[in-house]
Parts: sequence; structure tokens; C-alpha cells
Amino acid sequence: MEIQKFYYDNKIVRQFIWATIVWGVVGIIVGLLIALQLAFPVFNLDLSLTSFGRMRPLHTNAIIFAFVGNAIFAGVYYSLQKLLKTRMFNDTLSAINFWGWQLIILLAALSLTLGFTTGKEYAELEWPIDILIAIVWIVFGWNMIGTILVRRVKHIYAAIWWYLATFLGIAMLHVVNSFELPISLFKSYSIYAGAQDAVVQWWYGHNAVAFFLTTPFLGLMYYYLPKAVNRPIYSYKLSIIHFWSLIFLYMWAGPHHLLYQSLPEWAQALGTTFSVMLIAPSWGGMINGFLTLRGAWDKVRDSAALKFFVVALTAYGMATFEGPMMSLKNVNSITHFTDWTIAHVHIAGMGWNGGLTFGMLYWLIPVLFKTKLYSQKLANTHFWIATLAILLYAIPLYWSAVTQWLMWREYTPEGFLAYPNFMETLTQILPMYSIRIIGGTLFLIGFLLMVYNLVKTMTSGVCVANEAAEAPALEKLGPLNPRTETVHRWLERKGIQFSIVAFVVLAIGGAVQIIPMIFIKSNVPTLKTVTPYTPLELAGRDIYIREGCYTCHSQMVRPFRWETDRYGEYSKIGEFVYDHPYQWGSRRTGPDLGRAGNPVGPMYKNTSWHFNHFMDPQKMNEKSIMPKYAWLMVRGIDTSVIPRKIRAMQTLGVPYAEGYDAKALTDMEAQAKKIAEELKTAGIEVKPDREIIAIIAYIHKLGRDISPAAVPAPAATEKSNK
Amino acid sequence: MTTDKYNVTEEDPGYGDGPVMDIEDHEYDEIKELDNPPPGWIMAVFYLTIGISILYGAYYFWLRVGDQQEAEYAKSVEKARLKYQKEQPAGELTLLTDAASLAAGKDIYTAMNCATCHGQNAEGNVIGPNLTDNYWLHGCKFEEVFNLVKNGFPTKGMTAFKAQLPDEKIRQVASYVISLKGSNPTGGKAPQGDPCE
Repeated sequence: MEIQKFYYDNKIVRQFIWATIVWGVVGIIVGLLIALQLAFPVFNLDLSLTSFGRMRPLHTNAIIFAFVGNAIFAGVYYSLQKLLKTRMFNDTLSAINFWGWQLIILLAALSLTLGFTTGKEYAELEWPIDILIAIVWIVFGWNMIGTILVRRVKHIYAAIWWYLATFLGIAMLHVVNSFELPISLFKSYSIYAGAQDAVVQWWYGHNAVAFFLTTPFLGLMYYYLPKAVNRPIYSYKLSIIHFWSLIFLYMWAGPHHLLYQSLPEWAQALGTTFSVMLIAPSWGGMINGFLTLRGAWDKVRDSAALKFFVVALTAYGMATFEGPMMSLKNVNSITHFTDWTIAHVHIAGMGWNGGLTFGMLYWLIPVLFKTKLYSQKLANTHFWIATLAILLYAIPLYWSAVTQWLMWREYTPEGFLAYPNFMETLTQILPMYSIRIIGGTLFLIGFLLMVYNLVKTMTSGVCVANEAAEAPALEKLGPLNPRTETVHRWLERKGIQFSIVAFVVLAIGGAVQIIPMIFIKSNVPTLKTVTPYTPLELAGRDIYIREGCYTCHSQMVRPFRWETDRYGEYSKIGEFVYDHPYQWGSRRTGPDLGRAGNPVGPMYKNTSWHFNHFMDPQKMNEKSIMPKYAWLMVRGIDTSVIPRKIRAMQTLGVPYAEGYDAKALTDMEAQAKKIAEELKTAGIEVKPDREIIAIIAYIHKLGRDISPAAVPAPAATEKSNK
Repeated sequence: MTTDKYNVTEEDPGYGDGPVMDIEDHEYDEIKELDNPPPGWIMAVFYLTIGISILYGAYYFWLRVGDQQEAEYAKSVEKARLKYQKEQPAGELTLLTDAASLAAGKDIYTAMNCATCHGQNAEGNVIGPNLTDNYWLHGCKFEEVFNLVKNGFPTKGMTAFKAQLPDEKIRQVASYVISLKGSNPTGGKAPQGDPCE
């Protein structure tokens, strides 16, 4: 057999490692900043650029796509070459993957800070960046599949199945969820509306968790864990079963983010049941990992890398059990809108993604630089600090979640809400937010210890950019031979066929949910009284999105008595048909705003209240943690885009009259003038072209259309009319 | 044998305490795979969760035993109505003047954030009127003040508290506010509305 010489590309791995480290520090620091902001609003710095609503998406994007993303690429680019005994398919594609991804991150950081956002969680980036992501992601997949095709190993190892599922899954999710209609370089509208947008968004959001935070890391686990411990994988059969069941079932589970909300019950039930069925497939990975460590636990004692792998697998097992439990409707009523979800994702993010990345780096960097880890002791210190940090982060938030939920639903013996003032339920949990800051700080300290340790390791060794290797050429592979191989074994040597089968398996779950939501009318019953947004309200809505109000305020009253008593009538699917994108939110740090425009509801506040509140929430209530929005008074509404916005909405099916775009500005000015006059009677002088006018108009639209038409006039009303 | 944990080429003979079931031809960058079956219990969990899911679907959609969310909500509202109807004392709509009631009224004033719109000492601010002068926008009789707190005046900014406060508490806070007349706090807002006769 011919022995072929080739060179591993270590340079690209080293580049991705550096990016992982740098963005990890950035992402954690931004996380610490927003944790500080929630406990001490002064850290919002009274600047639009640094307010919580802008920083929170920056944190999630930096951690998920910058830190974890680069870690995935680093891990994949190294292991793929080794597992396939070949250099990456094409150096140019590798370079485009690296530099393209870093460019995306920079553009993301810049645009999110400036307030350019689609307002869809974990998919906030605007359309030009979305296109860039799609291109770079395809380049990644092309490079990977190309490498598979030029490999020198007969079969594709399990780790690579997960890499392929990652590529295919994310490509599908990103493209479908990012269908949006641009109105300018920096602004677009989701083509889906309301409940449809929600179902697409959480199909995406849930599966971004699956195919960006889970499947690639399972792949990395399947390579780095057995390498680091030098043990065989416990069960090949388990690998097969949990791979296919996991990638099939995950795609169905998205609606568990929308339980008790304005979504047809059949879709909610799919979310619940498929989440429950995911327990075993998810645990398959943990079990295969732990059983691979069997008989080698003495090594775990001595190696920080292995310790981190153990924490990662434990956190993964916890989170993948907790997730299905949170998908049960009764449990979800506690965990949704509270800090429970925040604690849950940090167990997974810090423990599973963090732990596996740290373990991988502690093992990989000495190997790549042909040296020893600078300090095993420092790495162990990092391990203990990080573990403590996770506990100090998560436990206070679980506590806060239960506390706040209990307070929300507590009734007095007379049958009234015991804590009718939302602020009381928030003030109660603020001490927990302070403890969380300690957890976050410790995690950052541990991370910095790792950076120091790794840099010292790198400088003590040499990373050969192009490392010589040799392997026998791959013999010609024949067709499926049922006598000597199983169908799966045949698939394992057919990269393209494997990808096609995986793609079909992945596509089913989303199709079953999204297609009926969009094309079957009965799923979205309309309400006659619901009217499209006026031009001013639309402008205000875009400001609401820009400032990331949805990161703290929901617009979704669930059908619980303790919610309808507090906020008003529960939300209906038909209310949201003009919402491009939907803004239901996922965490209620502040009260729900879905009924804030219903003048006879408990949530209504008049224009001067809103004005003063936006300018200085702490003046209205010293315990409020909402940032000040003074710039809304300074900035003028961008009137030049209004006609374009109306036309875009018409394209998306919002029934404005033909040619309304030409009249929109006149209507907008009239409505703005009215609000400004109202403020004037309260002694507030503000020009009608300011953004604050638009956002007040928008808030007064929320829930207004479904307020009962025949409300008995309060006694006081008659008196004043005399 | 070396003691270097990171030496990946180290020959390590042990594959754990179970039987070694290496699969031939399954070696990838020195990672071997064993032929162990998946643990029985995890497969049992898998089939169990599939069974539970089928029952879940049947319970809510085929047999329609379980309530869907709107029915569930309607039942909870009805239950609460029956429960609290009995316990709700018929409110006597008269002014309270005893110190305990006025103190309770003051606590409600604080807890409900009345100060946001009416000032810390009811002196009024840019949003709401002064409550300590003799001028009233919506009537100064006890009954009128009580109704205003209860039903609000939303378009003018006064929140309705009927969903948040029982009649007795509304009575206390209304009495407290009326008791403030003439307290003349600093920074009092200019009078609005009609003088009380």
C-alpha cells in the first residue's frame, strides 16, 4: 500500500484557540457588567451604548457565537485532520472561516452596541451580518465535507457525525429563521408575524442550543475525552442510537419555550413530549463519556483537563434532565419568565461548554505545542474556582426564581394579590443578584488563571504550523456489502450519503411545526378589533426593539389568575398578527407590558408618567433597576424611513390602505402632536418629533385593541364631565 | 511507562474492569471503540419516555380528559369566585378616623407607590395633584375618593386599584388621604380642580 506524506495545518487551530481565549474574556466581562447592572442600575452608565438592553444581547452573542463558536472551530479543525489523516481540504477556505468569523463577531459587537438588532433572541444580528454568517458557515461545511472526501481513513468516526449534524442543523436553522425584509442596511423586519414568528424563533433558539452548544460539544467530547484519558469509547452501539435519536427529536422540542402562551395546544404538546423523550438520547452522551472513564478515575485525580471533562459531563447530564422537566407545563409556569432559565443556561454554559472547552484547551495546547502544561497546580486551582463559581452563580438564581414566582402568585385571604406592586417581588430578589456577581467574578478570575497558564505553556513550546505526517492512501471503497458490513457501517464511509440522511432527519421536526403554523389559518384565529400599528406606534416599536426592552419586559399574559389579576386579560394569538417580529420576551425582570395600553386595565399609566419614568425611573421609584433613557428626549424620530416601513409592512401582509405610505407622515405628526400637547398640560415641554413620543405611543397601543368595548364608566368619570 | 498524563502515544493496556470487546477495524487516531451494548436502564428510560409521551397526547387530545389551558383558566377563575365571594365582607363606605386605620392607610400609600404620582407627603408632583389642599379634581366626598381609588381614572393617569386592593384597604387609604387635608407639606403643588364644599 502506498504511504502518503502530508502536513497537518496546526496554524489554523492555533488561531482559533487564540480567538476562543480572547472572546471568552470579552464575553465574560460583558456578562459581569450586565450582572452588575441588574443589581446596581448605576452601571448602565446612563448611556444608550452601555444600557442593559444592548449589553445583554452582546453578552449572549459573545459567549455563544464568539467564545463557544471559536472553541468549536478550534476543536473541529484539530480533530478532523487527525481523525481523517489528512490536511484540511483547502487552506483558503480555512482562512475565510477564521477571518470571516472574527469579522462577524466584530460587526456583531459594534452593531448590537449601536442598537441595530432584529429583536429576536440569539438571532439579533441584522440582515447583512446574517448573510455573512450564512456564507462563512457554508465555507466551514464545505471545508469539512471536502476534508471528509479526501480522507485516508475508511470510516468516519462518531465525533465527525456530530460535526456534520452541527453544520447541517445550524445552516438550516439560521437560514429559515433569518428570512427578513430589509428596509435599510441596518434594519429589517422578520417575514413571520406573532405566533408564527415565535414558533420559528424558538425552533431556532432551542436548536441553536442543540446544534451549536450541544452536538458540536458531544463531537468534541467523543474525541478529546478518550484522547486525554487514553481509553476506548465504551459503546459504539450507544453512539449510533443516541446520535440519531438526539438529532431527530431535538428539532421538535422548540415550543417548550412557549408553554401557556399564545400558541396552539398541539404545538405546545409537541414541545413537552419531545423534550421528555430527549432525556435518554441526551444522557446517552453523558453515559458513554462516563463509562469511557471507567477504570481510569485515578487519572482524573491528577489531571485538570479530565476534571473539567467530568464537570462538563455532570453539568450536561443535569441540564439535559432539567430541560425536559422545565418543559412540563406545571413546572414551566415556575421556570418561565423567572431567573430559573438563567440559572439553567448557566449550568449548561459554564459547566458543559465552559468545562469542555477548558478541558480541551488544557489537553490540546501542550500537545499542539509539543510541551507540558506550565502548571498543573494552577489548572487545578482554576478547576476549583470555576466549580465554586458555577454554584455561586446558579444557586442564588434558583432561589430568586422560586421566591419571585411565589410572590407573584401569592394571594391575601380576601382574594387579592399579596404583592400587587411588581417592584416588591423584584426588590426581594436583588440580594441574590449580588451573590450572582460573586459567582461571575470568580468565573472570570479562573478564566484569567487559565489564560496565564496557557500562554506560559505556549511560550515554553513550539507549534509547528505545518506538521509532517504520513498515512497509507485510502483504498477504493466498494458498494454496500451486506455480508461484511451493516448499513450504518456503510453510511459511515459515505460522507455525502450520511449528510443527506442526517439532513432529512433534521428537517422533519421543524417542518411539522412551522408549515401548519404558516399555512393553516385556524392555527392563528384573527381578532376583528386588532388594527395595524399607526406610523408613530410603528416607529415607537422599532425604538422598543432597538433598546432591547424585550430583554426585561414580556408582552405575554399567560392564562393564570395571578397573571390576569395583575396585568389584565390573557394574551390571544390574534393580537399579534401585525408583530414583525414578535416581542413576547422570555424574562420578566420588569412587569409584563402586554396590557400597558389598555386604559381601563391595571397596567395603564398616562403619558406624563411614562415620560418621567423613561427619563428617570429611580425618581419614580427609588428601588427601580431600569436604566434611564434620557436620549429618547434628545433623539428625533427618523421620519425618512417611515414610508418605507409602511411599504415593507404592506409587503408582509399588514393591511394598510393602498398608498398609505404617502399619508403616513401626516398621520404620524398629528398623533405625535396630540401626545406632546397632553404632556404640555402636565407641564412637560417636549417637541413632538422626539423618540420618546413614539415609544409612549407604542406602549399605549399594547393591548388596547382587545380592551372590552363596554366598560362601565367609573363614578369619578361622570363627576369630571360636569 | 511514563507518568506524563498528556502523552497520547502512551501504551496503556487496561480498558477498565469489564470484558474487553474491542471492535476490529474501529480505530480512529488511536481511539478504539468497544462493542458493549448500551446500558439496559437507559434504553428502558427511552422507551418509558416514549410511552409517557403517547399517553400525554392521548390524555389531552384523543381522549380529551385533560383540560386545555383556556378551560383550566376558566375553572380556576370560577373556583376563586366561589371561594372569595363568601369571605369578602360587604364594605361599609364611611370615613375612618381611628389611628390604627389611618396608619394602615399610610402603609398602603407607601406599598402601592402612590408617592410616584402624588409625592412622598401627598404634596403632588408633575404627574398627579396635591392631595393635601382643599381642591379636588374628581370630588371630595368620601364616597367619591373611595370610588376614584377603586375604579381609577385611567385617561388622566389614576390607576384603578380594584384588582389589587380589597374594599377595606381602599377605605383605609382613602381615609388616610382625606386625613391629610391641611397638612401643608413643603413643595405643595398648586391647587387643581374644584374647592371642596
